[in-house]
Amino acid sequence: MSLLETRDLVYTYAPRTPFEKTALKQVSVAIEEGELVGVIGHTGSGKSTLIQHLNGLLRPTAGQVLLDGKDIWEEPKKIRAVRFAVGMVFQYPEHQLFEETVYKDIAFGPKNQGLSEEKIDSRVREAAKAVELSDDLLEKSPFELSGGQKRRVAIAGVMAMRPRILILDEPTAGLDPRGRDRVLRLIRQYRDAHNTTVILVSHSMEDVARIADRVLVMNGGEVAMLDTAANVFSRGEELTEMGLSVPAVTRIWMELRKRGLDVGENVYTVAQAAERLLPLLKGGDARVD
Amino acid sequence: MLTDITIGQFFPGNSLLHRLDPRIKLVLTLFYIVLVFVPQNWLGLLIAVAFLIVALACSRLPARLILRSLKPTVPIILLTAIINLFYVAGDVLWSWWIFTITYQGVTTAVFIAIRLLCLIAGSSLLTYTTSPTTLTDAMERLLKPLKWLHINIHELAMMMTIALRFIPTLIEETDQIMSAQKARGADMESGGLMQRVRALVPVLIPLFVSAFRRAIDLAMAMECRCYHGGKGRTRMKQLHMQARDYMSLAVAALVLAGIILLNIYIPATI
Repeated sequence: MSLLETRDLVYTYAPRTPFEKTALKQVSVAIEEGELVGVIGHTGSGKSTLIQHLNGLLRPTAGQVLLDGKDIWEEPKKIRAVRFAVGMVFQYPEHQLFEETVYKDIAFGPKNQGLSEEKIDSRVREAAKAVELSDDLLEKSPFELSGGQKRRVAIAGVMAMRPRILILDEPTAGLDPRGRDRVLRLIRQYRDAHNTTVILVSHSMEDVARIADRVLVMNGGEVAMLDTAANVFSRGEELTEMGLSVPAVTRIWMELRKRGLDVGENVYTVAQAAERLLPLLKGGDARVD
Repeated sequence: MLTDITIGQFFPGNSLLHRLDPRIKLVLTLFYIVLVFVPQNWLGLLIAVAFLIVALACSRLPARLILRSLKPTVPIILLTAIINLFYVAGDVLWSWWIFTITYQGVTTAVFIAIRLLCLIAGSSLLTYTTSPTTLTDAMERLLKPLKWLHINIHELAMMMTIALRFIPTLIEETDQIMSAQKARGADMESGGLMQRVRALVPVLIPLFVSAFRRAIDLAMAMECRCYHGGKGRTRMKQLHMQARDYMSLAVAALVLAGIILLNIYIPATI
């Protein structure tokens, strides 16, 4: 049994108006415990709609969402329990900060869970540590922080609920390269430390290639691919047809092979490329014919 | 969901009503609001209703939309009708304790209810078929004479355009902030009044912050493009009156004349 599964999920926005639009058409995916799934697809592909179903923020028009094999809408009154189990970090989460201090903002989730003061305190400190926020920042107002810090506070706010599944919608959008690297590293570290299942939505192929175990490609409200990163990025042409791209380094690799260089199978991260390229450079085996 | 709100919403289209000059549509709507209060007999009212139905047909919008716009006003209309029902003097039909219903009371109640429904349906037809920017544009043109009173119409219109422009954006943003806080376990659907008001704080604070941020960004962007008010400003889309615009004015005038004639020749019902 998969940890989280959708069965023939259908969702229609603004039904019975001129704006009616089917955002999801019969989407069935299964996510296993402990894996890190990257979700890609361009604007309007249905990826945001899909993830909002996973924690019960949207109710499916048809089909089911199963958590531990149980339909999350079986008891609509208990939907909050699902939201604690499936933590969701929205796009630009820093826009949702509202408390007087960073500490209180991170504590919002655990407090809603009804935990005791001591437990909330340990959760807040643990989450702050997980996103590398120093203690002196905890007493500041969230509105005084820098963009990158705010983003990390918002992510900590969801981590503090200790969800079994952590969903992040474009967690690196609008960050500078250093901030982006940091957020990705923290997500990965958090996953490794807690064995939390992570679903990461991103526009950036590089981000997904770097940290995802499996990649889900959405196109026109349907699942186009769900496979390992290597397999997905080897289908570069199909991705291009969907208006998506492969990571820049994979493009270079494809081009190198097209020009007759024997550089081996496709790679999709810079680290892999370096590993493959360095021996070739030293040995001097690769040569243009 | 908040995005289901349809009052004041624009439904793009290419019908006769959509293409009508917005100034004419605005004038016609005001005209119609006056018109529904003119008839004093059933036949006149019937003509007013028929006029609305013809306009609705010209808009090619589903009648369901108009019905939906009427839904929130039903309590007000019922209240008005009930008050009329009990307070109009005349031939008694039914009476109990201090309540008396008269024949004239029933007639007036129905009459007024129909008038109000026409009024609301007519004005929602305007917003359904005219985009907010075109509408403020039309208002600016129609109010131009006020310039002589040293009222800066352009600035008012610009403020209105911006406000209207940001309603959907802010609704969408509210929706997203609410979702985000719900994802953190915020409970907005249960509890007493005070609890619900308190539950709004996590939504309102981020919303205010973002509204101010947007306002600053927009002001900056406008200044970067050298915006300095309405003086010497020209328009990309000039409004020109077409034959259909004059025609529709003529039709509306005929309908009004007809209703006035009926008032004169048929005894009044109310």
